[in-house]
Amino acid sequence: MRALRWIVIVLGLLFSGLPLVWMGLSSIKQRADAISQHPRWIPAAEAPVAPDSPRFEATTSAFRDLASVHAGAQASFWEHLLNSAIIGFFSTLATVALGTLCAYGFSRFRVPGEKDWLFFVLSTRFMPPLAVVVPVLLMYRAFDLQGTRLGLVVLYTVFNLSLAVWLMKGFLDEIPRAFEEAAVVDGYTRFGALVRVVLPEARTGIAVTAVFCLISAWNEYGFAMTLNSSGAVTVPAYFAGLQGNIEGMPWPQVAAGALVFVAPIVAFTVLVRSHLLRGVTFGTVKQ
Amino acid sequence: MSPDSAPARRRGAGIAWGLVGPVLLLLVAFNVFPLVYNVVLSFTSRELVGDDWRWVGGANYERVFTDPLFAGALRRTALFVLCAVGAELVLGFVLALALVRGFRGKGAVLAVVLVPMMLSPAVMGLFGALVLNGNYGVLNQILGGLGLPQPQWLSDRGLKFWSVVLIDVWMWTPFMTLIALAGLSSIPAQVHEAAAIDRASRWRVFTRITLPMTAPLLGLAVLLRATDALKQFDLVMATTGPNDAATQTLSTLLYQVVFRDGKVGLGAAFACVVLVVVIALATVFTRYLEHLRRAREA
Repeated sequence: MRALRWIVIVLGLLFSGLPLVWMGLSSIKQRADAISQHPRWIPAAEAPVAPDSPRFEATTSAFRDLASVHAGAQASFWEHLLNSAIIGFFSTLATVALGTLCAYGFSRFRVPGEKDWLFFVLSTRFMPPLAVVVPVLLMYRAFDLQGTRLGLVVLYTVFNLSLAVWLMKGFLDEIPRAFEEAAVVDGYTRFGALVRVVLPEARTGIAVTAVFCLISAWNEYGFAMTLNSSGAVTVPAYFAGLQGNIEGMPWPQVAAGALVFVAPIVAFTVLVRSHLLRGVTFGTVKQ
Repeated sequence: MSPDSAPARRRGAGIAWGLVGPVLLLLVAFNVFPLVYNVVLSFTSRELVGDDWRWVGGANYERVFTDPLFAGALRRTALFVLCAVGAELVLGFVLALALVRGFRGKGAVLAVVLVPMMLSPAVMGLFGALVLNGNYGVLNQILGGLGLPQPQWLSDRGLKFWSVVLIDVWMWTPFMTLIALAGLSSIPAQVHEAAAIDRASRWRVFTRITLPMTAPLLGLAVLLRATDALKQFDLVMATTGPNDAATQTLSTLLYQVVFRDGKVGLGAAFACVVLVVVIALATVFTRYLEHLRRAREA
């Protein structure tokens, strides 16, 4: 039983980890090594002589190449990363601000039909982007928002509100009302009590909510590729756009870019690791 | 300052709407309005390019219900949800069983195991196309090294659907593991001790204690994953593109109809039918959440 347990753990580790290791190896290869018929998995200082050697010459050229513009794209990887960062940052900011206020309202006040409203908020999460993209596209055309950063910021803000409201409501419900009541007795206004007492108490919750909203905006592809296919293109849509160009996929550059792209996500995941469960279940399961 | 005095409550209601109002308005504007607009569009012959359109009555719906492409995409999406989520549930649960007891380095192992679900499906799907490439993919190189057959994962007609399932399983098994772990670790130690005193067999403990006590959380996990898998778009786009008869899901079919064929009216009709299915599932889901919460409070 013990042995079986360890076999499962090792298999799980390999299953999850190996593709990421391969991504790392691919990012320091030349294109020929990345698509070689023979497995090349040992980085070496020099190119090997034997054609079927598992060694390959390690190079940082793919990372340097991230600054150049590839066939099938209009800008370099870094410019697309900047789009992703700006859109992710501002949409997260807006979602967390709106979501926290809304969650505070649901948590502390009697809102008529509260349960129904909360489930309406949650149900918006199940909407497949492709099922609403046509009306959104026509709306965005009318307002000239297609292919702009602002367009995606607004869309991702709305898209993540369900997550932010539900997560923040869970966190705010855990803060005793007595805290604010005491603050109000001390002469704070309701708003003052929220800013000075409740929000500082909820800072972990706010940080966790922000990370999950950021990750969701960072990774989004459906809206990004349909609405912003030619302007303010984010990284997932940029990579997908490289498919099918005449020169073939620049695999080492894709791997290098993907590595840079997922690095912050991995870092954030480690930061919120003790709240992961809460984040992925909309705050309904707490640990 | 009694919260129940009438003027205070009325004032409270004003503040409450002020707090929750903006979010509800935004959600209505970006969810309910497109929904209604979709219904209107579905009765027109509107196209992606040009403003020339007319009312066509139920013609689009007639096409939706007679089009074998739609029936195929619906069947394929259902099969995808069933197989991907099923495999993720079983593998994730087994992995959680192995990980539930503490050991040195558990934190680090968990971190590696859980990472895939946080990554971008579009990017990882694209990278999956490199790993699964029939001629130079590393998976086939490993299989070849072990003396196993090396199939064309992404170009074999019968296989590519399962390759997309495989990438989805890679991404989302961690999700099931995470939730199953929470369920398993919430079983009080006394329950296991009592079972040990009663000399219950391992199998009996598993079927009578472990499974029933983790079932509600696993149910939640399955629902969350199923509603997500139903939208499957990113992986299919990254591996085979939207117009492959072997892998076309509802979302990629919608993309094909609207953005490649430019048929906005027809796409809107497709979307309306898909939305009815999604709303039905979402209702089941929210009911289940409510039920779960009441059960936990009781």
